[in-house]
Amino acid sequence: MKKIWLRTATLAMVCVAYLGCVATPAHAQEFPVTERTLKNGMKVLVQSDHSIPNVALYIFYRIGSRNERPGTTGLSHFFEHMMFNGAKKYGPGELDKVMEANGGSNNAYTTQNVTVYQDWFPRSAMPLIFDIEADRIQNLNFDPQKIESERQVVASERRSSVDNDNGGLLDEQLWATAFIAHPYQWPVLGWMSDIEHWTIDDLKHHFAMGYSPSNATMVVVGDVTPEEIFQLCEKTIEPIPSHAPPPPVTTVEPPQLGERRLVVHKPAELPLLMIAYHVPQSDNPDFYATNILRTILFQGESSRMYQRLVDKDQIALDVSSSLEPAFDPTIAIIVAQPKQGVDPEKCEKAIYEELERVKLSTITDQELEKAKNIRLMEFYQQVRTINGRANTIGTYEVFDGDYKKLFDAAKNYAAVTKEDVQRVAKAYFAGNNRTVASLLPENEEKAKP
Amino acid sequence: MSMSKKFNLFLTILVLIFPAVLSAQSIHIPPHEKVVFKNGLTVLLLEKRGVPIVDFVALVKTGSAADPQGEEGLASITAQLLRKGTQKRTAQQFAADSDFTGGSFEADAGADFSTAAGEFLNKDLARGLDLFSDALMHPIFPQAEVDKLLAQSLDGVRAAKDDPRSVLGTYYDGYLFNGYGYGRTADGDEISLTRIHRDAIVKFYESYYAPGNMILSVAGDFQAADMKKKLEEVFGQWPSKPVTPVKIPVLPPAKGKKLLLIDKPDATQTYFAIGNVATAAGDPDRVAIRMVNSVFGGQFTSLLNEALRVESGLTYGVVSAFDPRKAPGPFGIYSYTKNESTVQAIDMALQVLEKLHKQGITAEQLASAKSYIKGQFPPAIETSKQLAQIIVTNEFYGLDDREINDLEARLDAVTPAIAAQVIQKHFPTDNLVFTLIGKSSEISAGVQKYAEKRDARVINDPGFWPPPAQK
Repeated sequence: MKKIWLRTATLAMVCVAYLGCVATPAHAQEFPVTERTLKNGMKVLVQSDHSIPNVALYIFYRIGSRNERPGTTGLSHFFEHMMFNGAKKYGPGELDKVMEANGGSNNAYTTQNVTVYQDWFPRSAMPLIFDIEADRIQNLNFDPQKIESERQVVASERRSSVDNDNGGLLDEQLWATAFIAHPYQWPVLGWMSDIEHWTIDDLKHHFAMGYSPSNATMVVVGDVTPEEIFQLCEKTIEPIPSHAPPPPVTTVEPPQLGERRLVVHKPAELPLLMIAYHVPQSDNPDFYATNILRTILFQGESSRMYQRLVDKDQIALDVSSSLEPAFDPTIAIIVAQPKQGVDPEKCEKAIYEELERVKLSTITDQELEKAKNIRLMEFYQQVRTINGRANTIGTYEVFDGDYKKLFDAAKNYAAVTKEDVQRVAKAYFAGNNRTVASLLPENEEKAKP
Repeated sequence: MSMSKKFNLFLTILVLIFPAVLSAQSIHIPPHEKVVFKNGLTVLLLEKRGVPIVDFVALVKTGSAADPQGEEGLASITAQLLRKGTQKRTAQQFAADSDFTGGSFEADAGADFSTAAGEFLNKDLARGLDLFSDALMHPIFPQAEVDKLLAQSLDGVRAAKDDPRSVLGTYYDGYLFNGYGYGRTADGDEISLTRIHRDAIVKFYESYYAPGNMILSVAGDFQAADMKKKLEEVFGQWPSKPVTPVKIPVLPPAKGKKLLLIDKPDATQTYFAIGNVATAAGDPDRVAIRMVNSVFGGQFTSLLNEALRVESGLTYGVVSAFDPRKAPGPFGIYSYTKNESTVQAIDMALQVLEKLHKQGITAEQLASAKSYIKGQFPPAIETSKQLAQIIVTNEFYGLDDREINDLEARLDAVTPAIAAQVIQKHFPTDNLVFTLIGKSSEISAGVQKYAEKRDARVINDPGFWPPPAQK
């Protein structure tokens, strides 16, 4: 299938953001970023790079599904879609038409934590892009007809990435089980019944809550100078008044006191296994050691889990892990794709044995060095395009509180010791702290009576 | 490594690691060099400084089109096994050596050619080049690794069938080309993969992996003269041997209408592809086709997306695409919609196609596509990885740098009259091939009207199209 247009909360998009947050090892060089905070509180970060005549502009709003309530889950993501459906100066459909006619394109993604708008355009379109962004930030229009048709678009998105996607379905059930109190328990896309019932007032309330300029960070990378960006901001963005940010999310997930298990029965060719462990939020110092651990266990064909499950035992097609940037304590997820007919519990057992091995004796020096080299390569892959750099700078600024942590991360990775890796393995990857989700093909095992 | 550094507002004094290359507004590919070694290996070298990465792409001019009938997947399996054991490294040692550098080595095959791609930091260039050349020149295909990969690939096909998006194109191409040429799956299927044996893999490798049948491109942070010397030392020693080129059958577009419905009983959406056999790489109309397709189904404000998504909310996404190859490749409209709106969405897609033929596109739409393609192109040639792939593919298809350097002028030369000709010539009208994956019990009655000739399969029936028994 060819590329499909996204304005989306799919995992693929989230992973891009996530890489930015993990990949910054020793020897990584700096690139100069110029910053300014506008009078209305919006922070603007600019990095000049004239190697291509193009610009990547990202606006990160600190609002996502964690700011929602039961009954209106998925509203942040739906709102993200509505941001393309007309404001005062650029009416419904005009934003895209004008942008494309001037050589630009756009997208956006929503996560549990943030809503991020992206514009990619030739330098010549710069004034237009600022005009468009200013228009929709302050004068978004809520056209009832557009709301109804966009509601159907989001329902279609959900059918694609959840109902007809085993990974998406199991992932949703996993979060809903691993969290019993904190808002990370509901899907970014929202439950289908909530998608069907949002009202125009819900949208207006969401806009009023999350879209103050002071709640946003703008990152501009490419064929620009900081001076011209700040001048454009003064004209278009700075006059927009600020208001209170979203109320803080005060709910704290209580400690998990024992293993939780869930099963999904569904017609499928192959089973699927996911295991979640509660881990701290992104700005916790253990984030670095946890990433080194995950690299050693999961990254590359020489990783311990690949060697064990795919290569030696030959019980899985693939095994991987993910950990998204998060403001609040979150979960690290292990995904294993068992081979046809293999009981997921067999993969589970092998995974636990490998985790125990890391806890019993420290990893090798060679493994530690390998993990740091892999992070170094990822860093360069992430920042070698203007787009990747914009996302990386913004992700550090938003999740670590300061984009300069991007450069500190090198030091932080270099400082991780074998003992640190062992310590985080023991602290977080423990039986009582895990949630296990299995998808069992219905043709192999019937739903329990 | 420099760490904490204070940044003054309006004043940044650090040295850029991404040096400013003063660029005119026009699009150009960086200069690069072509050398043919004595053994026949074509080498392309492109220096791209700034990021300390070197990218290698080796293109073997034979792909899955050379798979023997009934052994589909052979070219792909052969490519994937290159790293799974060489004369001096086991598969595990190869993985360990490659991962230790943070680098990567990946290989696979498509219909026209096979490729191997390696990416390494320039500080690890020696090891990277050793790994890359070791896999290409000295693979030994251990039986245990052959067995492992075949078993995994078999399950890979099954796993893909759990996600209609990932197999729609395979069914569509199979049905469109009726199992010939590009209609044969490059990844293999549940039956063909069981028929592939080590002997055939070794034979495929021996027959086609040869310097005279390969183009090697290297792009990134290196000095060209130095790199040429290194490559000569390694690849220059590879003995040449004759290779018989593989003929790809040229199929004419399908006549009339036909429809294949793949039953996926638990589907809540119907995934569909509609189109016909279209153009080959290097078609003289290619730039105009690209522009018209951008208007029709290539950009977000395309006619298709406006109708099916923006105006009606019938789908999250719809695109149209040409896939030009050595011989004429497919054109398709690809989308999905909930079961209940299957007919409505397909009707609408067909109406948009009809409208394209009847009304053409406006000068304004054409201008938008021009700006859009021009404006979005520079990021497509931004990294050494992209550049290595582009120059090697162009070389294979007999295209040159004018594809990029003349793109703006060629776009500017497309007039509404030319666009109208391109629509008539290259976009199908009455002759259409439909492929649908969905819940048969709910949608089959409604979609009968699209074609007199109809075929059906169930998604977990082994193979794609035609059913393996008919082969």
